[in-house]
Amino acid sequence: MEATGSNAWLISLAVFLPLLGALVMMAIPKEEEDLHKLIALASSLAALIAGVFILARFDYDNAGTLQFVVDKSWIDVINSRYIIALDGLSLPMFMLSLVVVPLCIIYSWDHIPEPGNAKAFLILLLVLATGMNGTFVAHDLILFFVFFEVVLLPMYFLIGVWGGPERKYASLKFFLFTLFGSALMILSFLALFFLSDVQTFDMRILPEAAAGIHSTTAIWIFGGMFMGFGIKVPMFPFHTWLPDAHTQAPTVGSVILAAVLLKLGTYGFIRIAIPILPEAAAEWAPWIGLLAVIGIIYGALGCLAQTDMKRLIAFSSVAHMGYVMLGISTLTDFGMNAAVFGMVAHGLITGMLFFIAGSVKERYHTLEISRLGGLLVSAPRLGWILGFASMASLGLPGLAGFWGEFPAILAAYQPADGLPVETFRTYMVIAALGTVLAAGYLLWMYQRTSFGEPSEEWADTEIDDVGTFEWIAWTPFLLAIVVFGVYPNLLFSVTDDAVVNIADIVAKSTGG
Amino acid sequence: MFAQLTQFESPPVDFFSLTPLFILVGGAVVIMLVTSLSPRPIPGWFSTAVSVAASAGAAVVAMVLWNDVRESGPYSTVSDAIGIDGFSLFFTVLVSLGVIATALVGDAYVRREHIAAPEFHALLLTAATGAIVMASANDLVVMFIGLESLSIGLYILAAMQFRRPHGREAAMKYFVLGAFSSAFLLYGIALVYGTTGSTSLIVIRERTSSLGAMVSPSELLIVGIALLLVGFAFKVAAAPFHFWAPDVYEGSGSPVSGFMASVAKAAAFAGLLRVVVVALGANEGDWAVPLAVLSAISIIVGAVMAITQNDVKRMLAFSSVGHAGYILVGVQAATAEGMSSALFYLFAYTFMVIGSFAVVSVIGWDNGHPIERYEGLAKRRPWLAGAFTVFLLAQAGVPMTAGFVAKFLVIKSAVAEEIYWLAILAMVASVITAFMYLRIVMAMWARDADVDDAPRLAVAPATAFVVAAAVAITLVYGIIPDSLIEFTRDAVPALVAGN
Amino acid sequence: MIDLIVFLVAAAICLVGAVGVVVARNPVHSALMLVMTLFGIAVHFVAQEAHFLAAVQVIVYAGAIVVMFLFVIMLLGVDVHTKLDLGGLKGQRVAAAAFGVVGLGVLVFLMTRVEDGITSQPAGTPIDPNTPDINQLAHSLFDQYVFAFELTSVLLIIAVIGAVILSRKPRPELEESQGGES
Repeated sequence: MEATGSNAWLISLAVFLPLLGALVMMAIPKEEEDLHKLIALASSLAALIAGVFILARFDYDNAGTLQFVVDKSWIDVINSRYIIALDGLSLPMFMLSLVVVPLCIIYSWDHIPEPGNAKAFLILLLVLATGMNGTFVAHDLILFFVFFEVVLLPMYFLIGVWGGPERKYASLKFFLFTLFGSALMILSFLALFFLSDVQTFDMRILPEAAAGIHSTTAIWIFGGMFMGFGIKVPMFPFHTWLPDAHTQAPTVGSVILAAVLLKLGTYGFIRIAIPILPEAAAEWAPWIGLLAVIGIIYGALGCLAQTDMKRLIAFSSVAHMGYVMLGISTLTDFGMNAAVFGMVAHGLITGMLFFIAGSVKERYHTLEISRLGGLLVSAPRLGWILGFASMASLGLPGLAGFWGEFPAILAAYQPADGLPVETFRTYMVIAALGTVLAAGYLLWMYQRTSFGEPSEEWADTEIDDVGTFEWIAWTPFLLAIVVFGVYPNLLFSVTDDAVVNIADIVAKSTGG
Repeated sequence: MFAQLTQFESPPVDFFSLTPLFILVGGAVVIMLVTSLSPRPIPGWFSTAVSVAASAGAAVVAMVLWNDVRESGPYSTVSDAIGIDGFSLFFTVLVSLGVIATALVGDAYVRREHIAAPEFHALLLTAATGAIVMASANDLVVMFIGLESLSIGLYILAAMQFRRPHGREAAMKYFVLGAFSSAFLLYGIALVYGTTGSTSLIVIRERTSSLGAMVSPSELLIVGIALLLVGFAFKVAAAPFHFWAPDVYEGSGSPVSGFMASVAKAAAFAGLLRVVVVALGANEGDWAVPLAVLSAISIIVGAVMAITQNDVKRMLAFSSVGHAGYILVGVQAATAEGMSSALFYLFAYTFMVIGSFAVVSVIGWDNGHPIERYEGLAKRRPWLAGAFTVFLLAQAGVPMTAGFVAKFLVIKSAVAEEIYWLAILAMVASVITAFMYLRIVMAMWARDADVDDAPRLAVAPATAFVVAAAVAITLVYGIIPDSLIEFTRDAVPALVAGN
Repeated sequence: MIDLIVFLVAAAICLVGAVGVVVARNPVHSALMLVMTLFGIAVHFVAQEAHFLAAVQVIVYAGAIVVMFLFVIMLLGVDVHTKLDLGGLKGQRVAAAAFGVVGLGVLVFLMTRVEDGITSQPAGTPIDPNTPDINQLAHSLFDQYVFAFELTSVLLIIAVIGAVILSRKPRPELEESQGGES
């Protein structure tokens, strides 16, 4: 607990340094592109360094308790406070977000998408970074909501201005879907505020304060949050924005979307919805599980039907997030640990896949799987990396993807007390089938794009292999995939305490 | 007979508390006198300067009075006709700021459109006087005259657009429907007077809250309240009494439209709050549900109609109908919190909408405001496009803007009263309207727009200042809204008699 | 009973006059119809024993103001056949009439439900029969309603400005000089 006091400002520093960078950049004319890139990189790296300090001073023996707590008054009149803190659950997500942004900026060094304007592009990335970092550490519902929504705008502009041909449609869909979810979510937050014993938005107190809410009401309130977080994840019936957004977004946008943004939803479930309303969560869990397995199968089938590589990866996200949600829906510590691991793993792997897709697109100017081919011949390193990431994505043991999927499936065998066991075992079987499909579509994609001779169309074109900036941006991803795959306990040990706390809350409310 | 004359004592007048009104009217008189008596032509900036100075003076005096009120409590003056309380001073400040912004934006506008500057500014000032009177009136007759001062000023301001094809039509429509709604209001006032026996809001509150003084909870009073609601609903442009708004906003000059959507709406809400919510507070059962229904219809109409428009000014007009609905969400809650949330919303909305119309006035010329004209604005004028984006997103209720806090507060007040259906409806509709705002944003930031042969846009320094200030206010109160919320919480109509 | 008859007759005069103002095609006729309405109101005042107000009503409104209207109409030479048909939506008039009738019906229905009637409600200060009504009027005008009274001056300023603006023909040479400034 000693880390709580003097270093508390570290988190705020990590959250707001990118924003500071963005403000500085606003004052600089946009012709100074290199300067902009430098400032963007410097501020995001500075945030990362602050993150490393946090990592170093984090008290791993007390990973279940909140550390580095800052509790300052913010908007007193509506009882909303500036509460920022970290525990073992937030830490991996927070670090993921801190790492991804600088890497994306490095990748953008010579990859600013059409129509250029590095200044605006990087400013948006930095604002996005602040929003993402903040969401994972906020412990006040309003503060959380504000950060959660701040993420929306930069991403909307990234897709809408720097996106592909259908960008207007995609960005609008992304924005409206998420806004719809948020609209219902904020209503739930308000209902929580008024109906709980103490009128507060403090997420630390709410689990106790909200215990008195009538169970029917609680189910409705949970429903509102389910819409907010579920759309962001995205869960099955609300997933339609995701393929469009991913396909149209610029590479870096897709990477961040996959690596961090989708996790805001799942994180919200674990951090807010379940501990505050455990009883309602137990009522909802079978349905969430159902939607999760539908998502797994639907996503996999969707992948098989795709002809576009980026769209395929996008659909695979739907399937992977299905595993995460399945893990969460068991409401056990085992399942939720798997879910957190799955979140990190999916962030790394799918982020990596989108990077590759972006680079392929840049070289071939198309992502039509049927027009690609022979990547291993024309750009062997790129081809091998794609192969590596595909293997990781299909859950090959020894790589990070495995530890997200496998325990989640396993957890469904024995869900928390009070949940229908047979139902979850059925889910387990279906989810296991999903892994087979995953292997199918990923290998199919890999085979068609990478094996064989390059097609006629590209026979004469010189295809560059992986460039310097790409190496710098990608190496950490690749290393992390291997490290977490070989030694998953690195992550599990951090998250376990916090997750057990949440599972205890659930067990207490459903058991007692 | 003469003996009786000597008995008459004129009522005591606290002149200092009326100073904001004097300054505003005085400003108008100075503008008219100087420009018409001066032997040489007076440059256009003179009128602007006077009207900005007068409104700034009024705002400053209002702040001084605010201090007094906080220390020694609210009071009424001139035979209890005018109440000096947090509520009236809040609106004095708000209206004055609105006039400053409109006058500055109007400066370049009147020059471009060859509108007589002195008259324009004099009318702004007198209309603002009417608005402030509405917010301060403790008497229905005073309220009505204030309303008429505001409305007639606006009719003329709308009619000043001689050159626009829709200008006269808009003015005519506004005048006829405005007079029509005034008639409703007047009839409502007459019936309320008939049942309570007084036009004084203070007396009305006393008599309606103590049922003993009344023979029975009269149906006549209910009819009166209904008519008052219709009249005010017209003035705030709440659906289904909004039909004038799109045509009038479209046909009037953009700064004038901004003034209507901000100051006039705020004044009408002030009247509604003062008369219906406070003075007739005891009859909450009679007006709360109708207001909730009005609010719901406005929100739906505002959202659904706005997304089908293709003209930016009409979009803003329908969105203004929707915003009236959101403000009504706070009003119908009939709680102190609801009222303060409505005031916060009005304050935030004033700057968003004046800023929006300032941008529109820069861009618009003769051929209306089709959304295509905004394509590629980000390339031509990035800062202007950025500012407009802020205003639009704030109206959509995106966090970190005052628009979000405003929506949040009104919804909160509805949830606190457990009026969930309205809260859910409002939130869902806000997503629908977001689509419309995003369409404009998207057009502005469209990267493939061909802007090479577009005419250069001249942004006058005064306009730029207003836009910048409005952006600053929108963002600052979006991040640290505390002080403004406190301000709105203190701004409660007191309706107390005497000094 | 006689009260009721007087009321009904006067009200009918008012309404006929008001409709006439709108319906008449000739502006002069409109102005004359306005006199009729104003006269009807004067009768109402008499019925309420507000003789002074009735006199003022006739002298100021029916006399001075309408005469002014007529002067303006004559001087400006407004064409008798000014076409005022603005078109409008199809079926708009029918719809408007229908809504009007329904609205009126609702209002009348609500009024008839008022059991105690207007007069049984507490009125304001009872009118003192011993004081001439001109004095009472002065008292309420310069005491309770003094602010409203003074405020009307603002309204008049606005009206004057408005009249100036609306009646002024656009002056091309002014536009030129102003345009040069900018």
